[in-house]
Amino acid sequence: MKVFDRLRPAIVNGLRELQANKVRSLLSMSGIILGVASLVAMVTVVQGMVGNFRQFVDAMGGIEKITVDRQALPKDQEHLAELSEGITMRDVEQIRATVPLVRNISPEVRVGYEKIVFEGREAITLIMGCTPDYLPVAKRWVDPEQGRFISDLDILHRTDVVVLGSSIAADLFPPNVDPLGKVIRVKGKRFVVVGLLNNIEGAGVQIRSANAKGGGGMWRWRNSGVYIPVSTATAKFTGNDHLTGLGLRIGDAADLQNTVDQLERTLLQMHNGLKDFSISTNEETLESFKKTESAFKLSLGGVAAISLFIGGIGIMNVMLASINERIREIGVRKAVGARGSDLFLQFLAEAAVISVLGGVIGLSVSMGIVWVMNFILIQAIPTQAVATLDWKIMLQGLGFSVVVGLVAGVYPALRAANLDPIEALRHE
Amino acid sequence: MGSLVTIRGLRKAYRMGDETVHALDGVDLDFDRGEYVAILGPSGSGKSTLMHILGFMDQPTEGSIVFEGEEVSSLSADRRAWYRSNRVGFVFQSFNLLPRLTVLENVALPLLYRDESDPAANEAAAKHALERVGMSHRLDHRPSQLSGGERQRVAIARAIVGNPAIVFADEPTGNLDVKNVDRILDLLGSLLAEGITVVLVTHDLGVAAKARRVISMRAGKVMEDRRQ
Repeated sequence: MKVFDRLRPAIVNGLRELQANKVRSLLSMSGIILGVASLVAMVTVVQGMVGNFRQFVDAMGGIEKITVDRQALPKDQEHLAELSEGITMRDVEQIRATVPLVRNISPEVRVGYEKIVFEGREAITLIMGCTPDYLPVAKRWVDPEQGRFISDLDILHRTDVVVLGSSIAADLFPPNVDPLGKVIRVKGKRFVVVGLLNNIEGAGVQIRSANAKGGGGMWRWRNSGVYIPVSTATAKFTGNDHLTGLGLRIGDAADLQNTVDQLERTLLQMHNGLKDFSISTNEETLESFKKTESAFKLSLGGVAAISLFIGGIGIMNVMLASINERIREIGVRKAVGARGSDLFLQFLAEAAVISVLGGVIGLSVSMGIVWVMNFILIQAIPTQAVATLDWKIMLQGLGFSVVVGLVAGVYPALRAANLDPIEALRHE
Repeated sequence: MGSLVTIRGLRKAYRMGDETVHALDGVDLDFDRGEYVAILGPSGSGKSTLMHILGFMDQPTEGSIVFEGEEVSSLSADRRAWYRSNRVGFVFQSFNLLPRLTVLENVALPLLYRDESDPAANEAAAKHALERVGMSHRLDHRPSQLSGGERQRVAIARAIVGNPAIVFADEPTGNLDVKNVDRILDLLGSLLAEGITVVLVTHDLGVAAKARRVISMRAGKVMEDRRQ
């Protein structure tokens, strides 16, 4: 209570000094303003980027997804190329039998970009052969009112059924036509539409104009696929039993490396030691992104730290100048009974007032920066807002400015506190 | 009237380069409550040093000062600040009012630094002090809006706001015109009635003539101590 009684007039006095020297105070604040603004805007934007990227990785199947792709043999095995059989359903069976860490395995055949036609309307898109396991591996689903996905029976009987992505369905069918049960032509062959895949959206924000051509934003490629039974794809289109690749899902991301190792051993054994496949995970993508993220944080954080440091020097400079101008005032205050600690508190409070005000202005500047950056980013990538201001980060920014102001104020305040009253009163 | 201050063998020495300057060279003095004293002397006589030491702004090199029965010749800085805030008041030649504060705030300033400081009580005390000097019509003015005589009256109000035992006036009329000189000196003289000891520090014989006791100093020594 006593401390507050001494602090209150000191703060009032600080505000009054600020008001009396508006331009000078604003100039001395500029460093703090820039420092806080860049700090908060930087953290916010980097966090937004991280959030966006996590969504992206999730859309790619998440961290628990492993992809096996066919690959040309390495140089030292090139002469054995004719022995390579590629990835087949036999690999799938073997992995099911010997790698229990794999929860789902989705064999995939990429038929390619082909023309699909419905009553004169046509579209060109990627045709994929797959099995029911595609859904858990890709984290997709078919809503009950949107039909069904490819079933085990479809695989067994090589039926001519097709499941469409939401954006391709919108392209191919007029709005008033229910695609379910309709017959479309895929690369000239007749298929019955049995289901529509769920629409993938950017988190929180509706894909813009999913019905319009060119709409769909960054997730459009995920909504434009056409899926047929893998057995139908090999029998009707590719003509051999080669798979393009495998998608695998494991139960726990912690088992990722173990699973990759076991997969590699199993596949090498199956392929007679031929390395005609590659195994990739999203972890590498995530890892490289994390590196980018920390590089961003370091460099931008460095910039912010330097500007806060300069802001501190600016405040110290102004405080020293202000004390020089007010030596007489200090003398008078001491003569009427102010202790050294009273003057220390007064000038420290003045520095704190400057830095807090600078911090608050810096926060509003950071809001502007984030708004502009979001505006630019939305123009460049039509997706959701990249960054949202977090009050925790803003509070931290303000805290930083207060600390800088207090540290910068200590030395000038000590000088004021230690002035000799007689000397100070004689000062002209 | 009892004795307020008793000074014995007071010395103050400064080092100026290689030389030692004796600003006070063995001063013995007594001040009673309610006395009107002028300390007269040319510059360098030690009168300002004596005022600073008696006003708790400085400390003697040697000697004893008993103030209101307490030995005060070697107090800590905070303790001296307490005495300045509670027991003494200063009036300066150049007024030394703080330009950013209003008249009322300037007068209340000494109370701000007291341990138990209540804004409402401070304001009341400051208003009362300003009434005593006839300045209660200018509470919200800034010092720059006042004449020299008015400023010095505000400064006197500041000196007496804390009910001091002694008020030091250092050439209080040096910056004033003739008409205001008498007014300020009479105002200072009126404080005696309340038991306040007033010490005028001056080199002006005319000003010193107003006091009832004149102490003449030269080269750090008391040359004459005369009651008139």
